[in-house]
Amino acid sequence: MIVRDIFADVLLGLAVVVVLGASVGVLVMRDAYQKLHFVTPAALVAPALVALAVFVQMDLYENTGETFLALAFMVIAGPYLSHATVRAIRIREKGDWRLRQGEEEQP
Amino acid sequence: MVMAFVVAAIAMLVAIVPAAIVLCRGELVASVVAYEFITSVVVMVLALLAQGFQRSGEFELPVLLALLMFGSGLVFVRALERWL
Repeated sequence: MIVRDIFADVLLGLAVVVVLGASVGVLVMRDAYQKLHFVTPAALVAPALVALAVFVQMDLYENTGETFLALAFMVIAGPYLSHATVRAIRIREKGDWRLRQGEEEQP
Repeated sequence: MVMAFVVAAIAMLVAIVPAAIVLCRGELVASVVAYEFITSVVVMVLALLAQGFQRSGEFELPVLLALLMFGSGLVFVRALERWL
């Protein structure tokens, strides 16, 4: 039991560190494109760690299932949402998301 | 009460503050990004609090919010793209 608790605590600590780091990243990065990079750790990595922590604490149980369901929704929705956000920002800036003639891709 | 989960939830609520600053004071596009960040964190906070206080019924909330996060995010993004 103690080993389980310690393992769950470590996972939770990692999740908190990831979220805190990502939050600082959202604050200090210059533009929305850069800020968006820091949403992914909070939307995918940290929920996975939290779900693992619940699994370690509770084993296979109703709570674990629902946490993994929430994680699954986030894993599916996250990339779509990020893509849609970048697309919207680009349309807002340039009028169209596609590259124009003579416009080069940024490295 | 499982203390570690409650402490983690509180720490994650603290992590919302920098994103909330961006949400309130940043440009419009940065605010949408901060909104997406905060929604993701709140999903975890709800799951952590449900586990922390050992209330199985409250695990429905993070599941619902994770589902709604997708819809609401797309609504904001579409509005940003077309009207705002």
